[in-house]
Amino acid sequence: MPLNNKNYKAISVSNLTKKFNFSVKNPKLSWYKNLVSSEKKEIIAVNNISFSLEPGERVAFIGPNGAGKSTTIKMLTGILFPSSGKINILGLDPTRDRKKLAYQIGTVFGQRSQLLPNLPLTDSFEFFGVMYDLSDSEIKERITELTTLFDLSAFIDQPVRKLSLGQRMRAEVAVSLIHKPKIILLDEPTIGLDIVAKKTLRDLLLKINGEEGVTILLTSHDVGDIESLCSRTIIINNGEIIKDLATEDLAKTFVFEKYIDLVPTTKFSDFIDLPAGLEYSVKTPNLITVIADINKISVQNSIRKLLDAYDAEDINVYNTDLESVIRRIYEKGN
Amino acid sequence: MKELRLAKKIIKTLVKDRIQYPGRLLADTLTTSGRCVVLLLLYYYVFNLKGGLINNTTFIVAAWSIFFYFAFMNLNLRNIARLIMADVQSGNIEVLLNKPISYLLYRSWWQIGAGLYSFLVVTLLGSVALILIIGIPSTMTIALFLPTVFLTFLMAVVLSLLIYIIVGLLSFWIIDINPVFWLIDKMVMILGGSYLPVALFPNFLYQISIYSPFGASQFITHVVYESWQMNWYWLILVQIFWIIVLGLAVYFMFRSVKKKVSINGG
Repeated sequence: MPLNNKNYKAISVSNLTKKFNFSVKNPKLSWYKNLVSSEKKEIIAVNNISFSLEPGERVAFIGPNGAGKSTTIKMLTGILFPSSGKINILGLDPTRDRKKLAYQIGTVFGQRSQLLPNLPLTDSFEFFGVMYDLSDSEIKERITELTTLFDLSAFIDQPVRKLSLGQRMRAEVAVSLIHKPKIILLDEPTIGLDIVAKKTLRDLLLKINGEEGVTILLTSHDVGDIESLCSRTIIINNGEIIKDLATEDLAKTFVFEKYIDLVPTTKFSDFIDLPAGLEYSVKTPNLITVIADINKISVQNSIRKLLDAYDAEDINVYNTDLESVIRRIYEKGN
Repeated sequence: MKELRLAKKIIKTLVKDRIQYPGRLLADTLTTSGRCVVLLLLYYYVFNLKGGLINNTTFIVAAWSIFFYFAFMNLNLRNIARLIMADVQSGNIEVLLNKPISYLLYRSWWQIGAGLYSFLVVTLLGSVALILIIGIPSTMTIALFLPTVFLTFLMAVVLSLLIYIIVGLLSFWIIDINPVFWLIDKMVMILGGSYLPVALFPNFLYQISIYSPFGASQFITHVVYESWQMNWYWLILVQIFWIIVLGLAVYFMFRSVKKKVSINGG
């Protein structure tokens, strides 16, 4: 499929649903009755979602634990079978063309390793190169490319188990690119990494997106991943997409809300009931944070009301950060 | 062609991996040798008590039969069941299902690669030791011996993998396959001639060992018997029969379990 075709999507998902069925034991019944006539329960992990990604896009797919992110990613790769709906990735249906699709996509699961632990990193590259049916010369060439791109030369000859977590994650991503995939799906790639390693990995992902045009879809609980890597964010909760917007617009979602911090002269003891438009976010003897809805009450009025009620030494007014925005969206979703 | 190249790569990588740990090889060799030597000493004693002949079988034949069993077990093919269970329980199966490979074929080559180095070393050293200590029976010197050993060995590898793959796939339903594994493993050990050479079995047990897949997966222990020259083709046909039956069972089971994959709730 030509990349210059305007209708061509890297990933296209329509009305995708995944239900899980499982048996529930009734503690009041005997094991035999539980075995013969156990109660069946159904969970809808993903509920009728639709979205698409353009080639070369960088999209964050986020949501609280159990929201349905990983289930969706696993359906995209063909590991899980959808209960209903359609998935089209680069013209392929993952449920029917899992192996063909594997040649086109790379996957990184932050909590799992695909590298050979006891052998030098080069062995993992060669191993997966053969698995993706590359010729010996192609493998050699690609190892050189990825070693330069990911700056692996310092530890490429070391056994994988001796690498630091940051080095290992760089290697994981590099190995997943051995076959030059057009799409890379990353499930929490920065989990457990320190801030330097996180930044390095994010920079590398931006680099492969820029230089090789790789489409990136990632799940993460780290706001830094979303802010610095992804131009678009899809938020899923309870199996449903609740937001799909540009990441820069995400920060403006609660632009009508201002946060006001009050630091006491001594200590706060009594907490007054707030008027309409104001609500407590933090209520401690040493700090009060109030969220002001400026559609209902101006900042000026809010400060006046608060200063009338509290003896404050310092006041700070600020917009909410992205992490708080996301948290608020999750909370509203629940 | 691609599958063969991948198989070669897996085996080569795994052998390289094992070579990194000579201590593990030493432990494998000592464990196998220890168990084998204890059994051989017991049988030497029992055969001596019976005047050197039991059920028309000499000690030297029984010793080689037991040795073939232990050498074959050193391939450790049964571990594929636990490997599949570990993949299912840990969710690691998702990493492999993301690759352009057949999961079961990949795991089979992996298991062969993991055990091959120990198998080759133990078989070679053990054969030399047995030849020097007790010699070789005349049944091992006939022209038919080597080609039929090779054939039944290949069939035994495939059949063992199929049996233990079925056990491993059960983890998709019952999660912990250890009780089933234990039961099947003991059936293979008993009917394969681990405790008692099959030539010494009572007739009904001998028939079960011949016609069950568990015994058939260890026909390598039959190759030293006088009867092998007459019925090798029949025994290999039995192996082929079970390979077809269990192969179909694996095919349908895996088709079904692919739809049951569930990892971390997703």
